Amino acid sequence: MRHQQGSALRKYRATSSLLLGGEQHTARFNYFYTTLITLIVQGFPCGKIHKATLGLCCGFSSRKSEAAMYHNSSQRKYWIFKSEAELEQKRCSANEAFRKKVIESGKAGMYESMFLKRNEEDVLFRHYERRLLDFCSAFKPPMPKSVVGTAIMYFRRFYLNNSVMEHHPRIIMLTCAYLACKVDEFNVSSTQFVGNLLHETPAGQERVLQQILEYELLLIQQLSFHLVVHNPYRPLEGLLIDLKTRYPALENPESLRKSADDFLTQAVMTDAGLLCSPSQIALTAILNSALRAGLSMESYLTECLGLKDDKDSLSKIFDLMRRTKSLLKKYELPKAEEVNVYKQKLERIHAEFSSSSNKRKKGYEDDGHVAKEARLEEEWTDEDLL
Amino acid sequence: MDDQGCPRCKTTKYRNPSLKLMVNVCGHTLCENCVEMLFVRGAGNCVQCNTPLRKNNFRVQLFEDPTVDKEVEIRKKVMKIYNKRECDFQSLREYNDYLEQVEDIVYNLTNNVEVESTKLRMEQYQRENKDVIQRNKAKLTREQEELEELLLLEQQSSEQRRLDVLQEEQRQLQAKRKNKQALLDELEKSKLPATLLLAQHKVRAAQLETEIEQQKQNVKPTSLFSTGIQMNQTVSLQPLPRIEEALYHYKPLQVETYGPSVPELEQLGRFGYLNHVRTALPQDTAGGYTSALACYRAIQDAFSGLFPPKF
Repeated sequence: MRHQQGSALRKYRATSSLLLGGEQHTARFNYFYTTLITLIVQGFPCGKIHKATLGLCCGFSSRKSEAAMYHNSSQRKYWIFKSEAELEQKRCSANEAFRKKVIESGKAGMYESMFLKRNEEDVLFRHYERRLLDFCSAFKPPMPKSVVGTAIMYFRRFYLNNSVMEHHPRIIMLTCAYLACKVDEFNVSSTQFVGNLLHETPAGQERVLQQILEYELLLIQQLSFHLVVHNPYRPLEGLLIDLKTRYPALENPESLRKSADDFLTQAVMTDAGLLCSPSQIALTAILNSALRAGLSMESYLTECLGLKDDKDSLSKIFDLMRRTKSLLKKYELPKAEEVNVYKQKLERIHAEFSSSSNKRKKGYEDDGHVAKEARLEEEWTDEDLL
Repeated sequence: MDDQGCPRCKTTKYRNPSLKLMVNVCGHTLCENCVEMLFVRGAGNCVQCNTPLRKNNFRVQLFEDPTVDKEVEIRKKVMKIYNKRECDFQSLREYNDYLEQVEDIVYNLTNNVEVESTKLRMEQYQRENKDVIQRNKAKLTREQEELEELLLLEQQSSEQRRLDVLQEEQRQLQAKRKNKQALLDELEKSKLPATLLLAQHKVRAAQLETEIEQQKQNVKPTSLFSTGIQMNQTVSLQPLPRIEEALYHYKPLQVETYGPSVPELEQLGRFGYLNHVRTALPQDTAGGYTSALACYRAIQDAFSGLFPPKF
């Protein structure tokens, strides 16, 4: 085992240095290097680690080549799904899996009605997602949009295969934001990060930080080490540039920007990012914005994007756009009273569950890793967050 | 480093740089003066551990730590008895076990662990292996002798070389002197003009010089390369077997972007894309950045994966 770890480490060093070439080590590189070593030391199986190295290395070379563009990304390969039904089914099975696990553990006092139903889970999920967005937009120093997008995408991806009942969204959302800061090279120190929890005492912030660090590796693992997220913001810029260059029929493309931006902000809170590519979302945003301004841009698609003879693709794009738009329309903020009821339920489950088993950090135990210390009690409530 | 000093008279190396520390079999130090004083009668007890010691067993302490001196002494003694060689054993394993055993004994004696039983063990071993020990000892002395002989031979040959060189020089010197004498004689007796004689002499002297030079150069016709390989040795000149492999053919990389084609980086300016992006400030360009790079990336991102997947 030790030997294997050593060889994985060497392999990792070799690949990373090979791919980085003469490039300077970025903060991102250093971060992953240390994280990977932690993983190796903690006894993660080498296969997974190797996978991680590959994923990360692709991320590193993003500036240089096309190799890290969206079309070659893990996002396109593993995190784009065919339909909403598929997503829903995944979430249901996560919920199911949790119920089964608790019942199998034979814990007395856990009965069917205590669990959150799928729709209740969804309400809570949307609530915490909203909180995550609020936290990010109130963040000081101001967080770039791509970091926010990445954080929310992590959050979505995480709860695709996990139930809110298993890992509390309160801490996962902070961990997502924390990880997104690192991955997108938005450099804040950990103390600076928890310093944004304004209603916490310094000691409380320290405690939260401990929890974040504890969950960080689990999160990375649950994201299958696919940490590079392609956000629709740069594609939007690219499309605007292209519009200005090749589509003089549109008089003032800049006027579309405002409402397109709003569209993207809303789209982040939906499953759009799990169904369409970032460029498609950006295109939808622009076309939607044009539609609102009463402009028709169909000729842009047919003439400039070369879809004239490809009626099939064209109709598919329109279909995707319609779906995206309807997703956005469907979105509504969860009602406060509902949230409160479910939150109480969630707290009860967590109280029961955490006392029933200490095996919270599933990812580690699977690989025979024993948690170093019992988890800190979650004394703070999420009311303290903002 | 703490000062080394005599534990009896408390003199240290610092205060008396000429201090000579001595060590005996028990591994405790004493300075030379104290040894002289305490062991006037040739025997006495160690000041620190009361072991009976003899004066002529005192050695000058070579190592900073006197126990090392003690160990060296003990090892010498043990090796006299345990003098088996690797060839005395059937397998490497047995030999290693034997070495381990020796180390154990040395360690025990040095650190005063089970001294009595260890000594008994040694005695027993000595009794049991008397023949072997004797034989090996003889062998060792024989080898020693051979080695000394070899050394002597080498010394002799180098001495011989030195003498040769010396003789040669002597001879040359003599030849020169004779030459000079001959010139003087000729100048005295001959009727030829002096300049001619001088010129003749010069030619002869030059000849002599070149002869000497030549001799010097031909002193040793080397028969060895510096690597130790014999000169004139026949080396196999057969060609190495050729390794035939298919050559690498470059194929341009085809990237499927699932979207409209993106103009090349170099063409962006020509197509007018760059008119719509912020021009790079002079300080930005230091690292090789151009506004085309950002523009290129944005457009790549915008077009990548734009077309719907074909399920």
